Amino acid sequence: MKKRLLALAMGVVIVLGCTACGGGQDAPSTEQTEGENASNTAGDSGSSTVVIAMGSGFSTLDPGYIYEKYPPLVINACYENLFKFYDNDSAPEPCLADTYEFSEDGMTLTVTLKDGITFASGNPMTSADVLFSINRCKNLQGNPAFIAETIDSMEALDDKTIVFHLTQADSAILSKLTYSSLAILDSAVVKENGGVDTAHASTSDTAQAYLDTTSAGSGMYVMTSYIPDEEVVLEKNPNYWGEATNVDKYIVKIQPDSNTQMMTLSTGDIDVALNMTDDTMAELADAEGVEIINEATKTVGFVMMNMNETYGGPVSNPKVQQAIRKALDYSGMQIICGEGTLTPYAIIQSGFMGSKGERAADYMNLEEAKALLAEAGYADGFDIDMTVTDLDMEGILLTDLAQKIKDDLAQVGINVNIVAQPWAAGYGDAYRDGTLGFTVMYWGTDYNDPNVQLEFLPGGVVGLRAGWTAEMNPELAAMYQETMAATDNDARIAVLEKIQDAMYEDGPFVMVAQAPAHIGYNTRLSGVAISDPYVLDVTLINIQ
Amino acid sequence: MEQLKFIGKRLIYLAVMLFGVATLVFILTKMIPGDPTVANLSQRALSDPEVVAAYKAKYGLDQPVFVQYLLYMKNLLQLDLGTSIRTNKPVLSELSRCYPATIELALFAIVLAAVFGILFGIISAIRRNSILDQIVRAVSVTGVSIPSFWFALLVLYFFYYKLQILPGPGRLSKAFSAPATVTGLYVIDSLLEGNLPKALDALSHLLLPGMVLAAFTMGLITRTTRSNLLDVMSMDYIRTARAKGLGRTVLILKHALGNALIPVLTVIGLGLGNLLGGMVLVETIFNWPGVGQFAYESVLSADFPAIIGVALLIALNYMVINTIVDILYGVIDPRVRCQ
Repeated sequence: MKKRLLALAMGVVIVLGCTACGGGQDAPSTEQTEGENASNTAGDSGSSTVVIAMGSGFSTLDPGYIYEKYPPLVINACYENLFKFYDNDSAPEPCLADTYEFSEDGMTLTVTLKDGITFASGNPMTSADVLFSINRCKNLQGNPAFIAETIDSMEALDDKTIVFHLTQADSAILSKLTYSSLAILDSAVVKENGGVDTAHASTSDTAQAYLDTTSAGSGMYVMTSYIPDEEVVLEKNPNYWGEATNVDKYIVKIQPDSNTQMMTLSTGDIDVALNMTDDTMAELADAEGVEIINEATKTVGFVMMNMNETYGGPVSNPKVQQAIRKALDYSGMQIICGEGTLTPYAIIQSGFMGSKGERAADYMNLEEAKALLAEAGYADGFDIDMTVTDLDMEGILLTDLAQKIKDDLAQVGINVNIVAQPWAAGYGDAYRDGTLGFTVMYWGTDYNDPNVQLEFLPGGVVGLRAGWTAEMNPELAAMYQETMAATDNDARIAVLEKIQDAMYEDGPFVMVAQAPAHIGYNTRLSGVAISDPYVLDVTLINIQ
Repeated sequence: MEQLKFIGKRLIYLAVMLFGVATLVFILTKMIPGDPTVANLSQRALSDPEVVAAYKAKYGLDQPVFVQYLLYMKNLLQLDLGTSIRTNKPVLSELSRCYPATIELALFAIVLAAVFGILFGIISAIRRNSILDQIVRAVSVTGVSIPSFWFALLVLYFFYYKLQILPGPGRLSKAFSAPATVTGLYVIDSLLEGNLPKALDALSHLLLPGMVLAAFTMGLITRTTRSNLLDVMSMDYIRTARAKGLGRTVLILKHALGNALIPVLTVIGLGLGNLLGGMVLVETIFNWPGVGQFAYESVLSADFPAIIGVALLIALNYMVINTIVDILYGVIDPRVRCQ
């Protein structure tokens, strides 16, 4: 009996083992037999397919609705905008636009389209497509609708010329027009599939279902398949009007776990891993055929101290704010956040036009911090609650940052009590309503332009969350409009520098760290680089 | 006639239970703190009252809770589970998208767990207190106690990353594209396409996650089989059969195992119900687009229609499985049919 049972057990194991070998990861015979994507193995230098692993957390690839981190990777591959960031830290450059011109008062922008642009469908692109795409995004009233808020109206002078009438001079308008939600759609195709750009689009547009299965743009690639939470497949656009790279196909795997990405990159199952962490990067340090990038993104973590005494208590005192700024260990914070982390000089992140770079490495000074506390009347320190939410900044838990801040402030007698509160269960409301007294939070750039940071000024969206009204510092608040109106870059840089100097030591915000991105990729690829607007610009990647 | 009566009763029971579950989950989701508007709109959008109002109106969040409940129940009666706040797609279509992946993995895992669990249980019982028994008991205790996410990383690290003998995350190797959806189960759909290599590839991708998910239930099945078989083996009728000179194989397979399997069947049913609810961490590590991941993302987004949909699905799983188990009791033990 026992022999039979053991034989049975062994039999099952052998059958399963054979099955595994028959369909294992290499499975060369299987691939050759089927002939389906037979040359698609990532890491195989002869393959023209590139496999990318990226994180989850998005639910649509309709440009009119997207605002999350990862969809721009796909949108940038399948669609194009009037302007584009060809380099992460440069100014936007014309893409579909041929020429552009601001009126003298900055209230009007005239854009002329390039000749010969066609969509993947073969339809030629005209001004009507531009008007449709931007109006649709605006009228859908989804998350990204804000991006078009300074566009009052548009008119098409002819098939190639569009005039944007702005609600106010907007020095960031070119950057905004690079945003994935303002990608230019093939209006004929989208309308056929339920697309609407009128004022009632939020209730009458039904094109999302279509745009979640395929793309309707003029980009280098077309989306041929999207299985939510699983993968997106992009194939070369046969009607692409520009010069294409030598990558024929991208398979974008949605693979949120960094350990899984590390393993799949090492084994050659994927070519690019976008969600690595400091720990998993260490595993790749000596891996053959794998290159790594650790660089700061423009996502920034900051301490917020409410200026309203009712909520902020002692941290509403400007001297206490200065003391806290002096007491924080920025180098230690960089270690916690991982390789590539930077501490920006003030509210404008390093990498943005007009940034003054990094905060001085020796800025921390406990003695000065204690003196400032004494000046504020808190020579013996004080106890305070710090509300922290359950979010992470590029994989770095805000609770970890809060713990470090607590330790640092304990050195100067400030006893921080960390109070955890979920984002969707109170924190979000309190943060938005400006009733949080003391917190650590992060800010991801809505669009790739230093003007997004103006919201930290008194009277700005974030400024008000810290109880910082325009009346409290009218001079600084006025720089918001001054920057917005400065369509000349030199003039804008000058104002941005003034803002940073004014907020280097003062104000309710302390920018503690620019979070790093960690990317691992196969050395057979060239052109892989961190991109704040697109996560990864796949239109710049070539196989060597 | 009796069978029809039984099925009729079960269906009524099912409808009442689903109504109860829907009501309970609806109330609970409204009671717990969490605002779908805050969870799903960006910080920028939240600052725009027009966008917030349009969003609330779109998903009926501007209505009083009682009206929302009535609307939900009315739609539910028409088999409409509402629209997911997170994905803006019908919940029913979202569940039909991700449920087949979970069913395929859960069925594979439960077969693994049942086959090996019963086998190990029998070996352990007939070789009671031997070294083999000790090993099987140690394996089953480990299976029950090991955290699944850790076990998942471990098997992936060794079998896929280090030894490279088993396929990694996902449902198919990248050399294959997903088969045309008929059942949503890749193995079956690939076979229906007549593509054996793809079916084998899909099957091989079930091995590692299936092994991880099977570990817990297999441990329970092993222990239950062992203890019940030992109980049955000490009964008088077995002693009598043995005294009549029956061989051990016939004795165990024909006389003892049937009676010992009734509690095992309950464990298998519960295990399957548990697996069909989705396993978030294992699905995440193995990049498996199942119900667990969908439920997790829905909870993060305070996506009430989706959360209620998943809860109903899980309740339905258990009810269907329990009904099947009840029927199987009768197949294994004729005395149950008489009752």
